[in-house]
Amino acid sequence: MIIAERKPLNEIMDMLQGVSRLLVLGCRGCVAICSAGGDKEVGILASAIRLGCKNHGLSMEIDTDTYIRQCDPEYLEPLKELGGRYDAVLSMACGVGVNFVADRCENVRVLPALNTSFYGANLSSGEWKEMCAGCGACVLHLTGGLCPVARCAKRLSNGPCGGSVGGRCEIDPEVSCVWFAIHARMQKMGKADDLMNIMPIRDWRTAGHGGPRSRKREDLLS
Amino acid sequence: MSNNIIAFCCNYTLSVSEQALKQGGLISEGVTIRPLPCTGRLEIKDLLDAFVSGAKGVVVVGCEKDACHNLKGSVRAEKRVKHVKGILKELGMSADLIEMYFAPRKGSEPLVMAVEEMSQRIKG
Repeated sequence: MIIAERKPLNEIMDMLQGVSRLLVLGCRGCVAICSAGGDKEVGILASAIRLGCKNHGLSMEIDTDTYIRQCDPEYLEPLKELGGRYDAVLSMACGVGVNFVADRCENVRVLPALNTSFYGANLSSGEWKEMCAGCGACVLHLTGGLCPVARCAKRLSNGPCGGSVGGRCEIDPEVSCVWFAIHARMQKMGKADDLMNIMPIRDWRTAGHGGPRSRKREDLLS
Repeated sequence: MSNNIIAFCCNYTLSVSEQALKQGGLISEGVTIRPLPCTGRLEIKDLLDAFVSGAKGVVVVGCEKDACHNLKGSVRAEKRVKHVKGILKELGMSADLIEMYFAPRKGSEPLVMAVEEMSQRIKG
């Protein structure tokens, strides 16, 4: 899922200068699951903004709502009309949601409350880790299911660098070397020799270096 | 109004009413006590809203960590208090304006002391 994190409150308060009617709008998709922008976080942020306003003697009318998703057109329909009633809509969706609101609701001034961080998994309650870089050219079948694009600091394709020591990455001893893990896993599966096949130089166009990406599935198009 | 304090406590950490404490002169008129079934029920938003509603300081008095009636309620409350401390700091406020206290069952002294300590912090 997409992992996101609330922006610092001073950054958010700066964005809201001059706003007197605000809608804090959450999303029940990925950001709700990673506890960044769901119903609870909307309530917390609205209260924090109220407190910030109170401290500065500002008056701001704040409403809250949470949509099922901010990245599907049908859920944004009500916002086209409602959004215009506010000076700003502070979206707690990921960057996709903020963009989609901006694209679809021309009379709405949409502001981002979150920093969209990465595609990750939930390791345990309150802990997430990057697992996929969305590079558009998956090589997981060659690497025992562990991703060298997302999980190697240098995005190396053919084994670890010289900074891999004892299974740890040189950037931080807390970070494990994914190539060390890939080798260990492939060895366990009796496939370590497969790693001798050199991966060709990657074509990064699929990773966004060729411009914004899109996908169409003809049988579903209306 | 200068020393408004909201004290959240659970049914197990306070055995008398707010009114009785005030009549006994143990807490001042500016103190509001909000009893809960368990402090683990408190949400971050509730704690922030206490400040929004006018509290200058907030205390949460839960069961001792190894004796919570609901096992982990007071530990959960402690984590939420810590989170709110972070939000207060982000807003340029003192993190000391909210505090978690752990108290043995069926007494009022720990809560009274917690309120007194917060009152002193507010006076600065």
